[in-house]
Parts: sequence; C-alpha cells; structure tokens
Amino acid sequence: MNVVFAVKQYISKMIEDSGPGMKVLLMDKETTGIVSMVYTQSEILQKEVYLFERIDSQNREIMKHLKAICFLRPTKENVDYLIQELRRPKYSIYFIYFSNVISKSDVKSLAEADEQEVVAEVQEFYGDYIAVNPHLFSLNILGCCQGRNWDPVQLSRTTQGLTALLLSLKKCPMICYQLSSEAAKRLAECVKQVITKEYELFEFRRTEVPPLLLILDRCDDAITPLLNQWTYQAMVHELLGINNNRIDLSRVPGISKDLREVVLSAENDEFYANNMYLNFAEIGSNIKNLMEDFQKKKPKEQQKLESIADMKAFVENYPQFKKMSGTVSKHVTVVGELSRLVSERNLLEVSEVEQELACQNDHSSALQNVKRLLQNPRVTEFDAARLVMLYALHYERHSSNSLPGLMMDLRNKGVSEKYRKLVSAVIEYGGKRVRGSDLFSPKDAVAITKQFLKGLKGVENVYTQHQPFLHETLDHLIKGKLKENLYPYLGPSTLRDRPQDIIVFIIGGATYEEALTVYNLNRTTPGVRIVLGGTTVHNTKSFLEEVLASGLHSRSKESSQVTSRSASRR
Amino acid sequence: MASLDDPGEVREGFLCPLCLKDLQSFYQLQSHYEEEHSGEDRDVKGQIKSLVQKARKAKNRLLKREGDDRAESGTQGYESFSYGGVDPYMWEPQELGAMRSHLSDFKKHRAARIDHYVVEVNKLIIRLEKLTAFDRTNTESAKIRAIEKSVVPWVNDQDVPFCPDCGNKFSIRNRRHHCRLCGSIMCKKCMELISLPLANKLTSASKDSLSAHTSPSQSPNSVHGSRRGSISSVSSVSSVLDEKDDDRIRCCTHCKDTLLKREQQIDEKERTPDIVRLYEKLRLCMEKVDQKAPEYIKMAASLNAGETTYSLEHAGDLRVEVQKVYELIDALSKKILTLDMKQDPPPHPNTLRLQRMIRYSATLFVQEKLLGLMSLPTKEQFEELKQKRKQEMEQKRILERQAALESQRRLEERRSDLASRATNGEAKAAGRTDEVRTLQENLRQLQDEYDQQQTEKAIALSRRQAEEEDLQREQLQVLREREREREQGQAASLHTRTRSLDFREIRPFQLEPSREPRTHLAHALDLGSSPARSGTATKTSPPSSAPEPFRGWSGPPALGQEFLPQSTASPRSEAPSLNPFDEEEDLASPSAEDTANPPAPEPSLGPPACVLREYNPFEEEDEEDAVAGNPFTKPDGPAPNPFEEEDEHPPRTPASPPVPGNPFEEAPCTNPFEEESDGGQEGAEPIEEELLLQQIDNIKAYIFDAKQCGRLDEVEFKVPARLGWRNWLFGAVHLGAFPVTAE
Repeated sequence: MNVVFAVKQYISKMIEDSGPGMKVLLMDKETTGIVSMVYTQSEILQKEVYLFERIDSQNREIMKHLKAICFLRPTKENVDYLIQELRRPKYSIYFIYFSNVISKSDVKSLAEADEQEVVAEVQEFYGDYIAVNPHLFSLNILGCCQGRNWDPVQLSRTTQGLTALLLSLKKCPMICYQLSSEAAKRLAECVKQVITKEYELFEFRRTEVPPLLLILDRCDDAITPLLNQWTYQAMVHELLGINNNRIDLSRVPGISKDLREVVLSAENDEFYANNMYLNFAEIGSNIKNLMEDFQKKKPKEQQKLESIADMKAFVENYPQFKKMSGTVSKHVTVVGELSRLVSERNLLEVSEVEQELACQNDHSSALQNVKRLLQNPRVTEFDAARLVMLYALHYERHSSNSLPGLMMDLRNKGVSEKYRKLVSAVIEYGGKRVRGSDLFSPKDAVAITKQFLKGLKGVENVYTQHQPFLHETLDHLIKGKLKENLYPYLGPSTLRDRPQDIIVFIIGGATYEEALTVYNLNRTTPGVRIVLGGTTVHNTKSFLEEVLASGLHSRSKESSQVTSRSASRR
Repeated sequence: MASLDDPGEVREGFLCPLCLKDLQSFYQLQSHYEEEHSGEDRDVKGQIKSLVQKARKAKNRLLKREGDDRAESGTQGYESFSYGGVDPYMWEPQELGAMRSHLSDFKKHRAARIDHYVVEVNKLIIRLEKLTAFDRTNTESAKIRAIEKSVVPWVNDQDVPFCPDCGNKFSIRNRRHHCRLCGSIMCKKCMELISLPLANKLTSASKDSLSAHTSPSQSPNSVHGSRRGSISSVSSVSSVLDEKDDDRIRCCTHCKDTLLKREQQIDEKERTPDIVRLYEKLRLCMEKVDQKAPEYIKMAASLNAGETTYSLEHAGDLRVEVQKVYELIDALSKKILTLDMKQDPPPHPNTLRLQRMIRYSATLFVQEKLLGLMSLPTKEQFEELKQKRKQEMEQKRILERQAALESQRRLEERRSDLASRATNGEAKAAGRTDEVRTLQENLRQLQDEYDQQQTEKAIALSRRQAEEEDLQREQLQVLREREREREQGQAASLHTRTRSLDFREIRPFQLEPSREPRTHLAHALDLGSSPARSGTATKTSPPSSAPEPFRGWSGPPALGQEFLPQSTASPRSEAPSLNPFDEEEDLASPSAEDTANPPAPEPSLGPPACVLREYNPFEEEDEEDAVAGNPFTKPDGPAPNPFEEEDEHPPRTPASPPVPGNPFEEAPCTNPFEEESDGGQEGAEPIEEELLLQQIDNIKAYIFDAKQCGRLDEVEFKVPARLGWRNWLFGAVHLGAFPVTAE
C-alpha cells in the first residue's frame, strides 16, 4: 500500500514498454504533476525520456525520430487534442496511457483518427492522483463543496481519483462513511457505483479480511487544520506552503537565485526523509550535525590540497560533496526561514495557546490567554483570527462564551473584515451543529482516565500535545470499536474482523499532522496498513480558502449572530 | 492485360496462392486457404504458410505496425505476471497496479478504416506499376492507351456529364480526362499528373514489402519483369497526339493525394537524422561502459586490497579502455549538443532542448560512472599493498598454526591417555570387551587424525617456505626495479615521480583542459614555426621548408624516452648524442658549421626562439603537471624555469661544438613507435604514466645537458608530438640530406 511506488511503477512500466530510443513524454496539466511527484528529471532522463511536452502546447515540432509516451487524463479536451495529434502525428510512434477509465466511444474516435497507424498501445494506467508520501495522496482540489453538497465536477473528479487509487493498489474495498456528512455518503455511493460498473476491473484476489475505505468529512474536525505545526513537513507547509513537493522561497529576504524554489521530496532527499516527521527542535540539532558533516567533507579553500591523495579524495567525494552542498544549503535556508518566521510572528507563544484551546477545557484560562495575545502587537492578524476561531469552535456553546468580546478585540486590533467574517464561516463549516462526534470532551471512561493521567503527568511538549481527531477514529477502527451508528457501511455487509488495509479519505482535505498520525499508526500497529487521502492537503491558509469557497460565509452572518445572541443570552 | 508481353500476369486483390481465386479480404483469404487447401501436401503448405506469414508481416511493415506485435506480447506477459504467485498478504514487493488495455478494441476500429486504406493504396501502386512497366516513350500512343485501359476499366464518358470535382460541364472545349489509376473522369483543371520518377519511387519502395502481400502467387521473375524498363532513358519521341504527357501518368486528385501520402511515409521511413545516428552510437558506448566498468571496479578493488588475482597491467589497460569510451561518450554528446547549431534558420527550440537534454544525461552518466572508477595503485603502492597483505596473511597463518598446535597437543594428550587405557589390561580383565573395542576404535581415529594433521602441517610448512622464497624473490625484484628506476630518474626524486604518476589518475577530470592546450599548442606551433623558418632560412635552406621540421622536433620527448631506458647510470653522457638539433644543424646548415660562424645563426635564431618559447611544449607539460607539482622545479632547484635560464645565456649557445659520433645512428634504429607499442604491452604500470615520467626525466637530462653545453637552440624546439619526429626523419632521408650512412 505504497502510493508513491504504485504511481512510479506505472510510469516505469510505460517507459519500459516503449523500448529503447529517444522518447518524449506527452502529458496534460494534471498528469505533469502526478509524474513529477514520483520521478525526478535526472532519474527519468536515464530512461531515455528527454523531452516533456504538454499535449495542449501548440508549439511542438515534428520529430519523427522520437517515440511519444502519452500519459493523459481521459478528459474530453485531452481526447480532442489527441485526435488532432494522431491526424498529423509529430512523432514516430505513440504509446497512449489514460490515467483512468476511458469510454469505448472515445477509443473508437481515437482509432479512427489514427490513419497512419502510429499508435502502438492504448491502455488505462490508474495513476490518477498525486502521491505525496507513501501513505498520503491528494487530488489537489481546493473548494470541493458548495455549501454542504458536492460541486458535481469535483465529485466526479474525486470519484475518479479514489477509484484510481483503489485500482492502483488493487483493492476492492468495503465502504463506510461518516453519517453526519451528506457529502461523504454521496462520494461513497459514487465510488460503489463505479466498482459495480467496472466489476471486471475490480476483480482482485479476495483477501481474508477485505480492505476498508473510510470516507470522512473535514467539517468533523475543523480544529486540526487551524493549528500551527511543529514537525518539519507540516511546519514547512503551514508557514511556507508545499505545492507538489515544491516550496516557494521567493519571499524569503535575501534569497539567492537558485533557491527561489526548492523541492522537498523524501524520495531523493535523505535528510528530508529522515527528518520530515521530527519536530523543530530536533531538526535544529540534526541540521547542525549535517552542517558539521558537510564542513568536515568540505575542502578548505585555503588549504591548497597539498598532496595528490588530498586531491584524489576530494575528487572522489566530489559528487557526494556536490549533492550534499545542495541539500545543506536547501535545508539550512528552509529551517532558517522557519525560525525567522517563528520569532517574527511570536509563534511559540501563539502555538502554546492554540494547543491549550484545542486540548484543554479550562475556559477562563484560555480566554485570558487569547485576550492577552490579541493585545500583543507582534501577533499577526492571521494568527489572531486563528486563535479566535479556535476559541469559537471549542467554547461555542460554553455558558460564559465571550466571542463577541473577542470579535471586538479583533476589530480593535485592526484585523481585516475578511478574517473577522471567516471566524463565523469556520463555525458554520465545522461548528457543533455540523459535527457528528464530540471533538473536545472525552467520551468514555478510558479516555477520561487517559486525559486525567495526562493532566497529572504534564505534557512532554506543549506545542505538540494535540492529537488529530482522526487518531481516535482510526484507533477505534483498528480495535473494531468504531460505532456503526456514526460510521455506517454502505450496503448490507459489514466488517467482522479487525481491518488490515484501510484507506481513509477526507473530503475537504487532509493535513500533514494527520499524515504524521497515520505514519505513526502504521509504524506502531503491526498488520495494519493505512493510507490517507484528501481532496487536498491543507494548511491553515488553504483551509480558510476552502471554507470561503464552500460559500457558507454568506449565510454565516446571521447564523453567527444567532450564535452570539444565544451565547450572550445565556 | 493481354496486350502485355509480360509472362507473369499481375493480378491484384487477395489471391489464393494455390488456386488464384480472388478473395475479398485478407481474412477471407486466410479462412479460404485453411478450408480448401489444408489437406494438401505438407511441403507446399509449409511454403505457403511462410508466404502468408510474410505477407502479413509485409502488411504490418507497410503501415508501421511493428510496435503492435511487441505490445501485444508485452501485455500478455504482464498479465501472467500480475496474476502470478505473489502472496496477497505480502505487500513487499508491491504488485504493479491494475491496468486495462484497449488496444484490441482500438485496433479493431482502426483496422476497419485502415484496411480499406491499405487496399486502396496497394491497388493504386499495382496499377501504377503496370502503367510504368513498359517503355512509354517508345510505344505508340494507341498502344499505350490500350494498355492503360486494360489496367483499369475507364468510366463511360456518357455517364459523367459534369466534372465530379469542380462541377463544370464537359464539352468539346472542356474535355473529359480519365484517371489512369481509378478510371474516373475529371476535367483538365482537376487532373493531376504523376511523373515517372515519382511512380518509380513509389513502386520500387513498396516492392519489397508489397509484392509478397499483394500478389503472393507472383514468381520473382514477373516482379523483375515488371520492374524492367520502368525508367525511360531514351530521349522521348514526341507523341502523335496533342497531349504530350506520355512520360507522366494522368490521375485524379484523390489518387494523387493517396500516393503523395504514401510517398511521405516512405521518405520518413528512410530518413534517419544525424542525431539518431549519433545517439545510437552514444547508447552503444554507454552499454559498453555498463559492461566494462563493473569488471574494472572488481579488478581495482582486488588490486587495491593487495591481492594478486589480477595483473596490474591488465587492469591498467582496462582502465584506459574504459576511459576512452568515456571520452567518446563525452565527444559524441558534445557533438549532439552542437548539431545543426549553426544552421540558418536555427533549429526549433525543442530540437535544441532535446540536444541539451541528451548532453545533460550523458554528462550525468559520465559523472556518476566515471567517478565510481577507483584509481589503481602505482607500482610501488601495489608492492607495498602486497607486502602488507602478505604480512597480514602471515599473521593469520601464525595464529592458525598456533591454534592448530594447540589442538594437536590436546589430541596427543587424549591419544596417549586412550592408548594407556586401551593397553590397560584392567579393562580386558574385567571382560568389558565392548568398551575396549570402542576405545580402540577411538584410538585409531585419533591416530588417523593426528597423522593427517601432521602431513598437513608438513605440507603447509613446505608451502610457506616456498612462499617465503617467492616473497624474497619479489622483494629482490622490487629492489632491482627501484634501482633501475633510480638510475633512470636520476634527476627526479622518487617523490616527484609518484606525484607525476598520480597526476595521471586524476586526469580524467581534466580531460578537456588537458586536451585543449594540446590542440592549442599544435596550432601555436604552426604559428611559431614560420618565424623560426625564416630564422633558419638565413642560415641555409632547411631540409624541407614546410613547418614539418619544427614539428619534427616535437620528437625529443618521445625520442629521449626511448633512449633513456637503455642508457645507463648517466643519461647526461648520452643526451648530447641524442640531440636532434645537432643533426639539424648538421644537415640543415653544414655550411654554417664548416665556416665555423657561430654568431651568425645565433641572432637569427633569437627572435623565433622567443616566439617558440611562448608556445613551448614544456609549458604544456607544466600545465598538465601543475597539479602534481612542477617536476622541473624540484630537481633543477635553482632554475625553476629551465627556459628562462636558457635565455639568460644565449651567447654561449652557438659555441657548442658538434658532438662526436653520429647521434642518428642510434635514433633511427630504435623506432620510437615500436618501442612505444612494446611498452604498451609489457609496461607493468599504466603505460602513459610511465612514459610521461620518463619523458620528463629525459627532458630534464636533456635540458641540463644542453645548458651545460650552452646550446640554447636545441632546447627551444622540443615538441611532444612523436609522429612529427619520424616524419621528419623520413622526410630527411628522402631529401638525401641525411648523413646517417656516413658512419
């Protein structure tokens, strides 16, 4: 259940099947992203793929000495482009791979366009999703829902993505979904429909325990995407933003030209692979070690390589040295920028209060801390709004809710209208009314004891005490304790045994914190394999955009007024 | 058709090879054949089957279906793999995800369209062949017309009142024309013509692939027959008719279009751009590296560990070979990079991108693989390594021996113990015969083992002795070699020696810089030679006034190198006699010598000498050696740059008397090339390094000597091109100015 490997295997197979010779890879916008997540340029160059072209690019030259490998989503535009391409072939031979199910009529119209018989292969290779980490995939859809319901276009894309994932992992799962979300149910039905329709494709060897697809909705846990993160990958995404493994550093003051955009990929960056789940403090010491290592290996400029042996050693180490120098400068820059932002935005203090808001139930202390931070001029409007959102989500129904007061504070602080509106929109998106389960108060005796003990022990790290709600859900699922009244199965059959292969999909986007949770669960529970997916991978900023795009804010004004009124009445 | 004298009748369509029945499609033909003729003679059947297969292949080839077969087999192969024995619970290694092929569907749809197209094209081409099969220019037009009509039935004039293409009404003025290929009617405006060369091209190109397919029944003779005379080389006799297009064939636009498309396909198939050829070569080289490099790495690792499994020379050779392939890769990729660069208009940006990417990937390849090539130990290092290993082995052996002794002792103890017990009558007396027997058995076994150990020990001992002897011998040899080397490189300290050797090893990384200076130098030499020539010209006419002589002097390094190994302790004593410049003076300016007018040549030589000095080959050597520390600086001590020093004492130079004894006596008899090639085969070290080193030594000795004798001019003309030297020698012999035979 390694999604990166699954996609990579598809691409490798395509290249392999086309035989020796110079090749060009023809892609569309989305497949370009899909391929770039699993293959680096130099890696793919070694397989004789020298050119990368977009099928929609008009400025392509006729190069009959190249073989074309087309990896395309089966959209109408792509089929049209391909028909044009085949009518006047630019390359000697075409190997066509669609990333998803293509209709028979499209195949027919393509076949009829291929008068010169240049097509040697037409296949479906189900690499129709962005493989972020081995256990994390995304569809890069921002704003999948209108109100509480699916945007139909995005629903079909999500269905395609999910079924492609199932096919690429060869899983024909049982489906269960979050009852409180209409969107989850809808998606579950759509996936089921595809499985039924394409039953031939989904005929895999039966496993003793069937795999499970669990469909959740982001609105059940709006807290997680609102928190500041302190593990490397999540933190980079939260503060700098990761887009298809790329990080835009152009806004970093004094950045050198070749570091404007860097790639963080665990596939070919050992340091990143080893550190992506470690927290900021550990990264700091590791990067120091890395630097020292580098310094040791780095030849001193002044010391003029006295003996030939020195020189030989230098030259022999040169490629590693060069690679290492790239890695070092990249990570030093990234970590440097992170720490600059942390101190500039006073994030340590902000995060402490965030964690208190998310994990503890002491209203007065929380309120006091939020109020204190709102007065702090170093706290940005973004962070201030975020704190108020967290407060509003947690103490929405609290007897002494003082949201209106905090809203006033926000206004006084000069926080823009946009963010203040977002507070109510977030409550509308993920407030108590919408949530199917209780985010904050512990539900059973064990959990209560746990929390009590935790309180006694004190937390190890105040900044990372929050556990995403997903952890609890998955924990229950693995133990077979997931309540069927909250997470019903689609269809009559239910899972009797403990599940082994679990695919979790979060409508409205997953987060890297949840990816970390899944990573840890995979590591600590033998025999269980979990893959996490989402319509996208969120940081706070993109999550707020998602909330905005869902269009809930238009109605939110009155509802928030209702909330505040009811709150003030109490 | 009947009018054709051709014996082999050409028929079109899907003909059964046995009964010549025309069947409508390929598939029908196949089924027909299977039904009707399956019972017939096996021989014939086999023959026919191959024909059918050939036909199918030809059809595929005709329309570039090569990829399909392979792809089909590929998917089948995959299917067996994907449903094959991977345990569903074992996710490592992960299976390839699901996939579904639409190829058969695609092909079905395409075939429906394409088959029609193929049949059309083939029909046209067969007709075209018939139309061009006779000598058009020498045939009466009536007969031509008859033949043309026989190829394809012409549409009745009355049936077509309007031109089907442009819609104009036919009349006396607007006459009807028939397409010779499909028989249809069009007006003159809409008529197209196919020239004979084009027709010829089309028919001949498809002959190989088509003939088998379209008319499997044809005998090869008939094919030749139809091809014969298709080109009318005889000057055309003008036709009696008004239309004078008998060397062209009329046809309609549709037929022409189809044929032009076909022509384009033929062209594309035949054309291989330069980049493809270069690229194929490049890939070949890469494959070679992939083969050779691991072999070499294994060798080098073994050698560096001090093992003697492989010979150092062999490894050195392999290393040179691999490096040469790398150079080739580098050169090829560079060539690809600059391909068509200077063309006007410049190539499409994508072409450039492709070229850049190929170059980039080649660079990556070379970087990755070349840097993995570890260096070989030098001879000395290797000896040291061997010693070290031997010592280690020795220690190990000692330890083993100790252990063996220990166990032996224990064994002996037990034996004696057992023996005493066995002989002890006590046991016997007690009647415990069983015990005695087992004890005796034990004793025997122990005795056996003891004996065996003893013999093993003896063997080991003798072997050890032999090895020790070997070792001594080797050491002796090493010492001897060292001695010899010391003699050779009197001037150069051993330290510099290893350095200059080492330099070779890092050379791959400097390939370009080191190569460029050389060419630069050669160029520079040419430049330098002209002033020099003018200089020598004042003396007398040089043996050949071309720049050759000066390149000729590039010899000394090579030349010296071949003498010096033979020369004994003092190279200095020999060096003067080797001096090529003496000869030069001898043969080029005997008058100058005779008249004993030393100052005269000197000043005239001065300026060119300076010019030459700038491009002095030694500077190149210096450059190359710069990394390894200048070999000249150390031994020469006081004079870091020997040439500078030479310049300081120009007046002394001409005073040098010619050295007694003809230096050339030795020079010609030791052909530098033979020597060199010998060295390449037997040289224990990577030969290049050795040569370089020797060259340096020789040069040093030479310079030293020259300095001593104050002959500046000699020093000036040392150039490292070996070939030049021989050429010059030969050139001199031919000119008859070569006084070798005198002695």
